[in-house]
This record gives sequence, C-alpha cells and structure tokens, in this order.
Amino acid sequence: MTVTSGPGEPGPLTSAPLASTLPERLYSGIGGLDTLLCGGFVRNGIYIIHGAPGAGKTILSNQICYAHAAAGGHALYVTLLSEQHDRLLANLAQLAFFDQSRIAREIHYVSAFQLLERDGLAGLLTLLRREIMAHAAGILVLDGLVAAEAYATTELELKKFIHELQMLASAADCTIFLLTSAGHMDEASEQRPEHTMVDGMIALRETTYGWRMERDIQIRKFRGSDHLPGRHAMQITSAGIMVWPRTEALPAASPAENTQGGAPRLATGIVGLDQMLGGGLPAGSSTVVLGPTGAGKTSLALHFLARSTPAEPGLMVSFYEPPDHLLARASVFAPDLGPHVADGVIGFAWHGQAEGLIDRIAFELLADVRRRGVRRVVIDGLLGFEGLALPAERLPRFFIALTGQLRAMGVTTLCTLEIQQVPGTTHRAPVDSLTPIAENLILLRHVERAGRLERNVSVMKLRGSAFDSTLRAFEIGPGGIVLVTAFGAMDNFRQRSPSDTTGG
Amino acid sequence: MATILVVDDEFGIGELLEALLQDDGHRVLTAMNGRHALERMAEARPDLVISDLMMPVMDGAALLKAIRESSDLRDIPFAMMCALPENVIGDRIAGYDAFLRKPFKLAAISALVQELLGRRAE
Repeated sequence: MTVTSGPGEPGPLTSAPLASTLPERLYSGIGGLDTLLCGGFVRNGIYIIHGAPGAGKTILSNQICYAHAAAGGHALYVTLLSEQHDRLLANLAQLAFFDQSRIAREIHYVSAFQLLERDGLAGLLTLLRREIMAHAAGILVLDGLVAAEAYATTELELKKFIHELQMLASAADCTIFLLTSAGHMDEASEQRPEHTMVDGMIALRETTYGWRMERDIQIRKFRGSDHLPGRHAMQITSAGIMVWPRTEALPAASPAENTQGGAPRLATGIVGLDQMLGGGLPAGSSTVVLGPTGAGKTSLALHFLARSTPAEPGLMVSFYEPPDHLLARASVFAPDLGPHVADGVIGFAWHGQAEGLIDRIAFELLADVRRRGVRRVVIDGLLGFEGLALPAERLPRFFIALTGQLRAMGVTTLCTLEIQQVPGTTHRAPVDSLTPIAENLILLRHVERAGRLERNVSVMKLRGSAFDSTLRAFEIGPGGIVLVTAFGAMDNFRQRSPSDTTGG
Repeated sequence: MATILVVDDEFGIGELLEALLQDDGHRVLTAMNGRHALERMAEARPDLVISDLMMPVMDGAALLKAIRESSDLRDIPFAMMCALPENVIGDRIAGYDAFLRKPFKLAAISALVQELLGRRAE
C-alpha cells in the first residue's frame, strides 16, 4: 500500500525498499517522516508516540490514519481518556487532511475509558481485538497509554498487556501507535517496561529559543530498520504535520564522478570571467562569490542563472530580493529569463520571511533539483541561512551537507556571500572555513582608482584547474556585467573598502 | 460448538487464540507443551488440536506422533503452527492436516477451523 505525500510537501527522499526480504512498510503519508524512517513504519510494529500536551501527538496519529484510509485501509482510534470525540473531531476539522466522510466508514473512533474502569486491561484487550477484527483495521491508535498504565497493578501486568498487544499486532496485521505524555522521553524513561518492549519510540518536542519556539521530532528507537537519528524540524500547519529531516543527517548521495579538473564547464555568461575560469565553472562544483554589499554578487549570480536551458534547468534560492525584483533587474541583460521562468526551465524559491526553517529550505531545494533535474543552483546569499539556523552552531555542518548533496547530484552551485571587508584585511563569513563548501572562490570588491570607486573581480581559487588570477575591473550596465580592464600588479592601485575613509 | 485444544508455550498466543475461538462460540482448552496437551486430552477429547511445533518437554512433532499412534485420538484434525516456513519442516514432519505460519493472521483462523471441523464431520 502506498500513500502519496501530504499537501504541499515533497515526497520522501529515500526510496521505498525493493528487496522482498526487507520488512513491509506502513507509510505515514508524511514524506519527511517516511524519510526519517527510511521508508515508513515497519508494518505490524507497535510504536510509542511521546510528547507533552500540545506537542502534536493527536494530529500526527490522526494524519497517519487518514493517509492510511486514503490508500484504501481502515483505522481504529481508541481514546482512553475522558476527552470528548466531538471536541477532538472539531479540532481535526481545521486540518486539510481531515475528511469527515471517512468517519465510521474507514476510520472508527471508540471511547474505552469506561470499559477500562470496569474491566481493566483484560477487558480493554478484548475490546481492541474485537474492534480491530470487526473493522479489519490496519492501524490502531491507543490515545492515552497513561490511563492503561494506571490500571496495571504491577510492572509485570503492564508488560503482559504490551506483549499481548504485540501478538495482536502480528496476528491482526495491524500497526499500533500508543500515545502518551507521561514524563520525559530520556535515557532513564527508555528503561520503562513499555519502552523496552515496543518496536519504536517517537518523541515530539518544543524548544524555545529566545522569543521563538521550534518543534522537532526524534526517532528514539526503531527496530527492524535503519532510520535518521537525532532531532529533526517539524511544523504543524493547516495541512497537518510536516517533517523536515535535518540536512546533516540525510544519507550521503552517491558522489558524482570526480572530474573537477577535466569536467565540462558551465559558462557564467560573462565573457571575460569565463575566460579567466578556463571556460566557466567546472560542472558539479560549488562556488562562493564573495564581496561587500553593492559589489555585483547578485548580478553575477543572475548571469549564471540566465544560462539555464531546458537541458540544464536552473533554480535560484533568494533571501533578500523577491523574484519579481530579480527578474526586473535581469531583464535588460537576460531577456530569456522571464520566458524560462514561465516554461519551468528556471525556478525561484523566495525566503523573505524573518523566520523559517533551514531544513525546510534545503529539503525543498533538493526535492526540486530531483524533480526538475536542475543543474544550476544559485543561493543568494548564504547569510540568509544564518538568521534562520537554530541552534546557530549547526550552520557550518549544514552548509557542508547541503553543498555535498548538490555536488553528488552533479549540480553546479553558485552561492553569494556578503563580507564586510576584503580578504587580506579583515572579513567575516558565516562558517569558520569556506574550504569544504567552496571549491571555487570568486572575489568582488570595490577599489578606489583615479578618484572613483570601481568594481573588480578576481578568481581566488578554482579547485583542480588552472585559472587566470588577474584582477579585472568591470561595470554593470544595460548589458549586465562587462569586464573592461585588466590590472597589472596589485601595487598599481590602492585597494580600500567603501567604509575606508582614510586618505592616501 | 466444538472443543478445541490450543497448545503453545509462548505467552500470548494461547490467550489470543482462546479469545478468538471463544468469540466464535467454541470451547477452548489450553496447554503449554505436548505432554501437558496429552494430559488435557485424557480429561476431554477435543474436536481439533492447534499446536506449536517448537516447545519444551514435548514438542509439536512428538505430540502429533503420539496422537496419530493412539487408537482413540488418531482421527482428531491437527493444525501445526511454526515460525519457520512449511517447506523447511514439511520433509521431516508428516501427518498434520493444516499448517499455520507464525505470525499467523487472525482473519484466517476462523475459516481454517471451520474447514478442519468440517472435514471431521465428513
């Protein structure tokens, strides 16, 4: 049984298992979560979903039920607490995945609170078995495990209850989810009897960073399959739960053939610069264009993007200028850019909001690259990630992981990075070292010459290839960037930043 | 209503089958191994035996052999349960009427029981 991704969310990045010896999967219907689970929940397993009230347990489990129903399955949702079903359904009705027509047809809500009070765990087990069989349910959600625990007089009784649930899961071909908010999900709690016995544990968490709150999801235990460890970003939107795997945790894509030295070149579209680069940027490499504000970084990036073709589609991720501004700016020197956007050869991903998730941006970027076969990616500029990254110390490894994924897919990436001062004096970058992400470095700067500031470009590094290190002046006019002059030795002019007002 | 003897040393299997078969209206006896099963059969003759293969004291193969060699019990239908596939054990053990691969599916149990009880009636 397969389930398509939730609304607005790309599909899982990992493929469903193909070999018949691998365990059968129950797809959650949440693409990012199925990526964390390397293909979905192991079918007929029993899983604890843990989180504080409001963490999203009910939404997550219902979303899985509705995805299962949409794929032709049946689900049983049993509440053990005194929460009224009408209130539960009213809350779910606000979410896009909710489908009232499925209730009492493919999805059955049952309250077992009173029965548990009267007949204890044995009575609950009988009810579950009968209801699962009656509805041919492929999913059982038991909402309120803490209530069941309260009716276990001994630890052994609780273990027996969980064990019998496991038997039931296998015998009834049913995957079981137990929801609980009891205590904290930590190493100590993982020694609890119910935690040691189940096939997997999923922790939902909220963390506050100053004024911001971020949700995350973590697979704490997952028997019978590999999974992506650690914490991963999660959102609750009107579409339901969305999960964005931590970029650093994504499986390493198969590296593209290392042909940096002899790789085909992708022209930047700037004639003189392409000559300095020996024909263009090596295919499949990553380039950082450094420079202070106003130096022409975005213009250079637009030149590169404008060379996209149907055989070599492009994508621009931008943080500071919206796509219509960028298109207007580029229209004078790249008249094909607009039509290419219209016909899907070039895409824009605009992230102008002050808050966002770096992993969502990366996930969507990689998904678009796969979907459209993108070969040219522009990230304008890298500092846009800095304000979104929580915690901030993730950023260097995030960049390494993202550029690594792109490189492995054969994508030629060009990133712009604003610096305050030119190298050689002082400068700052959002990563300790650019080396892992910048195989190629292009520096743009302002220099004072003959009483005016001029823009200059130089190639600082082109990994594995010879390049022309000459410093070249350029202008940005109606034709875009045009290189005009080659300088000789550095001491022929005085370099200074725009903020440098000292005489000389 | 029929009397069915369920034999399994694993906690939970017997309870699950007992509950299912009782819901179907049968009387269910349970035993933890082959020897225990023979003792139960001395008290009440079942209409059907559903037994695990791998058990301590006396396994399912020995139980089946004992039943087939007993003039009083040899006609009782016998369903063998095992976590191994049937082609692995089929060459070594003969004489059972049905095979249930663990983990079995509850949905298949009721139909199988009806079929085996029907054979007995014929």
